[in-house]
Amino acid sequence: MRAAFVIAAKDLRERARDRSAWALGFLAPVAIAGLISFAFGGAETFHADVAVVDQDRGVLAQAFTGFLAGPELASVLTVTPVGDAAEARARVDRGDFGAAVVIPAGFSAAAHGGPVRPLTVVTTVDSPLAGQVTRSIAGSFTAQLDADRLAVATAAAAGAPAGDLAARAAALRLPEQVVRQPSGTRTITGVGYYGPAMGMFFTFFAIGFTARGYFLEQRNGTLDRIAVAPVSPFAVLAGKSLATFAYSAASLGTVCLVTSLVFGADWGPPAAVAVLVAAVALSVVCLTAFVIAVSRTERQADELSAMLAFGLVLVGGNFVFLGAAPEFLRVLALGTPNGWALRAFTDLAGGAGGGSVVVPVLAILVICAVLTTVAGLVHRRAVRR
Amino acid sequence: MIAFTIAAASLKRMVRDRVAAFFMVLLPLVVILVIGATAGGPATPRVGVVAAPGPLAAGLAQTLDGTEGLRTSAYGTEQDARDALRRGEVDAVVLIPGDFDARLASGRSVELPLLTAGPTGNAQGAWQAVSAGVARHATAVQAAAFAATEAGGSLSARLPLARALETTVPRVTVQSEPVDGSGSALPAGFGSSAPTMLVLFVFVNSLASGAAMVQTRQLGIHTRVLAAPVPARAIVLGESLCYLGLALLQSALIIAAGALLFGVSWGDPLAAVVLTVVWAAVGTGAGMAGGTVFRTPEQASALGPTIGVAFGMLGGCMWPLEIVPDAVRSLGHLTPHAWAVDAWTALLARGGGLGDILLPLGVLGAFAALLLTFASVRLHRSLTT
Repeated sequence: MRAAFVIAAKDLRERARDRSAWALGFLAPVAIAGLISFAFGGAETFHADVAVVDQDRGVLAQAFTGFLAGPELASVLTVTPVGDAAEARARVDRGDFGAAVVIPAGFSAAAHGGPVRPLTVVTTVDSPLAGQVTRSIAGSFTAQLDADRLAVATAAAAGAPAGDLAARAAALRLPEQVVRQPSGTRTITGVGYYGPAMGMFFTFFAIGFTARGYFLEQRNGTLDRIAVAPVSPFAVLAGKSLATFAYSAASLGTVCLVTSLVFGADWGPPAAVAVLVAAVALSVVCLTAFVIAVSRTERQADELSAMLAFGLVLVGGNFVFLGAAPEFLRVLALGTPNGWALRAFTDLAGGAGGGSVVVPVLAILVICAVLTTVAGLVHRRAVRR
Repeated sequence: MIAFTIAAASLKRMVRDRVAAFFMVLLPLVVILVIGATAGGPATPRVGVVAAPGPLAAGLAQTLDGTEGLRTSAYGTEQDARDALRRGEVDAVVLIPGDFDARLASGRSVELPLLTAGPTGNAQGAWQAVSAGVARHATAVQAAAFAATEAGGSLSARLPLARALETTVPRVTVQSEPVDGSGSALPAGFGSSAPTMLVLFVFVNSLASGAAMVQTRQLGIHTRVLAAPVPARAIVLGESLCYLGLALLQSALIIAAGALLFGVSWGDPLAAVVLTVVWAAVGTGAGMAGGTVFRTPEQASALGPTIGVAFGMLGGCMWPLEIVPDAVRSLGHLTPHAWAVDAWTALLARGGGLGDILLPLGVLGAFAALLLTFASVRLHRSLTT
């Protein structure tokens, strides 16, 4: 076992002397995660400036304007009265407002069965969400108006005495209301998602380093010289795996630590995070073994590891926010160890308990077992030849 | 002539490299596909619906499914919906209570909990759109309940009448009126991912290709060429032409694939060609600068993509700069990427021509001139001293 530690220490010393390894394993993921945190800091809440043009000046128009500017929507909208529709359109076009509402003349009369004219929401393609939200708010308000009119018509059609149906209907309140409730879930921030995503991406570069190193040692005879010493092939394998594991775990662990301390990312319960980091590091070891087993030369190993690393991060969701991706991409991601790890990191960052990592870690272990088996079989076939 | 021979020899060497081919052709296309599919549509809020038994609950789920500005997904259990919310797969979850039908039938009102992960834009959009959809559903329910109270009978008995009248009683509609037909962000989906990935990958690939020049220096190829009657400036020119050819080749591939595979319209042909050539010149300058600054091929391969990705992030290749704070947007314009994306936005989102992108073209030209001069001087000096 001592031989394994000696080999691991030698490999790590070599890695420590390589500035590229430092740049890729530690500097780059932290820099990229920091950049994302910087870019998205404070840009994750929604608020829209909306203009209101009141061409009606009736009771209902005032009620609508009051609803828009009321306390319930204060965190969502800032409402500014504007003199006429042309000015509102021009200012929405200029970007002063995200949207504008034009309340038509005769709007209040609609409550008493008068002719109905549509409410107009002026939108711009630069603020689609502001337009969408304003349209929905207007829709909610007019739904009550429609409901009152429909209630009177239905009651009359059902044979209710006319009397003061309209007055009684005006006092009604829609029987279904939406109530916002805290979900116990934290919003996934840019750094919360891309911290682990970029950490894993750059950790995968270790596959190339180690595989290249292995073939270099094979070429310059180092492995042959070790083979004549009283060191078992298992010790060589264990030592090299241990070095890769330590480098990968240190790289991802550093990203975790720096993004937590400097950028305020909440990765979740430390013990669960540590288990996940270890699982990712183990998957790097198994992927490296796979690359070494199927490659014949240093060049092949280099090519395969680069393609494997980029392929895995693309499919696993390290480049795009998987939550927004189509269903097939989310399913595809679960065929990769980094896809499972990213799901677990996202769950933890979203407020899930430590137990949520059990299934992802088991899935990563299964993928590792498959990779190791394939690597073993390929290697055995190569030796027999 | 000598310069062309040198350029052709270097270009042939780079193109024969299978890893380079992967990074030049396959990777950009897959990234365009993944990002294009992930950001494939307008930012419509996504809502998970946990339905309850009963025809009224089913009717509400159906109404929400057909609500404008909302994409719904049905979940069997609340836990599944909460998991999806935590992972960002939906922006909000609406829970239809188990006693939804019973409460409404007995004339009582119902509160529908809406769970969100935070005050994000899409969560606010989801809240308003769900409120509008629920209000729309409640219109007939309120009318049926009112008719039952005024004319006798039960809510379920009066509901068909209310539903029938709903189509005949005039409604107050909400209409949208867009103020412009063009925006300041690239069109969603492939229209955004193809031009931004062209900007990103041409730069990254050029920088990473700096490794080839480092290798050429290390192998002494330049020195041997100098032994022939070849002036140093011919080598500098040859290397520049090689990098320019590489950048143009990759640009042409991405443009062709974008148009043929993803249906991307690249805007005004003349302006698009000029922009592509100028951007290729920027990439040439960056690649050559990398080739003279990096000391080992590993450094170029490791740092090149990291710098390229970081610049791409700052410059709006990974996300539109419209969504980041003003300071980050200004910082982004210190990179050439932001100017290139601005120019593509003018061409693709606003249908602009050459005259509309003169400013970004000028800035990009300055970047190219600066980088090419720097790299040429360094390369020339290394050859002659």
